[in-house]
Amino acid sequence: MEEQFAELLAKVAQLEANSAVTNTIFAETYYFISIPLMIIIHAGFLAYEMGASRLKNTLSSGVKNILAFAFMIPTFYFIGWWVYWAFPTGLTLSAGPNGISGAEYASSIALGWGESAQYMGPNIADNASGVFFGAFALFAATTASIMSGALIERIQTVGFVILAIVLGSFAWVIAAAWGWHADGWLVTQWGVHDFGAAGLVHAVAGFFALGVLINLGPRIGKYNADGSANVIAGHNMPLTVIGLMLIIVGFFGFLMACIIVPGEAWSWSSTTSASIYGTPMTISALTFNTLMAIAGGIIGAWVVTKDPFWMMSGALAGIISTASGLDIYFPGLTFIIASSAGALLMPLASMVERRGIDDAVGAFTVHGIIGLYGVILLGVFGSGFPAALGAAGEVATISLTGQIIGAIVFALLGFVPGYVVSFILKKVGMLRTPESAELAGLDPTKVPAQAYPEGIGASAAASS
Amino acid sequence: MGFPFENATWDGLDGAMFMGWGGIMPGVYTAISVLICVYVLWAGNRAEQQKYKAFENK
Repeated sequence: MEEQFAELLAKVAQLEANSAVTNTIFAETYYFISIPLMIIIHAGFLAYEMGASRLKNTLSSGVKNILAFAFMIPTFYFIGWWVYWAFPTGLTLSAGPNGISGAEYASSIALGWGESAQYMGPNIADNASGVFFGAFALFAATTASIMSGALIERIQTVGFVILAIVLGSFAWVIAAAWGWHADGWLVTQWGVHDFGAAGLVHAVAGFFALGVLINLGPRIGKYNADGSANVIAGHNMPLTVIGLMLIIVGFFGFLMACIIVPGEAWSWSSTTSASIYGTPMTISALTFNTLMAIAGGIIGAWVVTKDPFWMMSGALAGIISTASGLDIYFPGLTFIIASSAGALLMPLASMVERRGIDDAVGAFTVHGIIGLYGVILLGVFGSGFPAALGAAGEVATISLTGQIIGAIVFALLGFVPGYVVSFILKKVGMLRTPESAELAGLDPTKVPAQAYPEGIGASAAASS
Repeated sequence: MGFPFENATWDGLDGAMFMGWGGIMPGVYTAISVLICVYVLWAGNRAEQQKYKAFENK
């Protein structure tokens, strides 16, 4: 009997060990899969930008987008990952209440040298650091891609890469540390909730782009002497629209990476998925709301524009406008908010254009304005929800005031560095391409290849 | 460089396992990577400015 009991205990122990291994591999694979899905976002932005460029700038737009991705990964490895863990409590770099922040903690896990290097490279006992780093590095690449489209056809390549590094490996990371970390001061003190990063990724990137656009100026020919704007059509609308659809596909990777899976030592719960703040949620909730947001955004934009470019941009706006609360919105409400964002999109973009801002793809409107719209609307509809793991009173709750403060902080974290760094680049001659190169096209000026060496036919409407 | 532990065996390995672990080489590799990025930006900008000048002089 005792022998059988001991055998049973051994079997239970073996089953527990097997279960733990399965869970660990599942968690590792879960975040690993989010990474190629987020690379699809980048592929989408690449197609989107190249299609929105005129023929003479097609490859140049592609080169800068590809370079943004290439520089974002190492610079996020060198500094961005450390910034995320060091800054949650603010500029003091002190440890927060959960003990997973501050300069000392960041230096123990996020530097590529010394003892910390064990968490920044192959480690048989660490199945988490690499995939978390990868997911965050791809969030960083997404911010750079968001800015990239706004600046096409007149920005210098290296100047752009420097701006991308500042945005992707510093500006948005500070926003994430403050508002997307359980120790973040915006979360602990103001109850800021931005589950899907409407503010800390989209609004930061959009406002960063606005700061750059002010110094960069419009493309030659965009505005007439009386201040009215001309339409500068890209050379390939289908490529742009397919690019936008790819971004939507990639968003599922982006959003799945916003979830903390259960059952690991670093998980918030042994049984329940959680947001990055530790609040409980499910992937099913995300599925309901994300799909309704995409549909709502498309429909809202279609009602107002009937234009496939704005319809797909509306899909993005639908997700972004609801991203802050995709974990807790009801799908019907998601649909309403997303529809309103889709409908508002083109009028808002026209308003920005009338103010002399030549945002070639509407990035500031889609990501910046709609991002803030989403952050603030969560304060309207989600007030009272605990913003962290615990009960109201023990932890801060979501409120309109908190969301407005968060929105202002995110806008400033984008705009100020974008404006300042682009101003410096302008002063040293690294921001805008010379007029002659812009007129002739950036591809013949500096790209040793042709987008369409055999030419490209005009569409039926243009040739008739 | 090479296997980072005295005995070249996988038995009992339970931690970092990359080339250079425990020494200064990870830091050296990281520093060189930083320098490569900085150099490429510097050289890339110089080449880009030269192309603009060459184009303007055509």
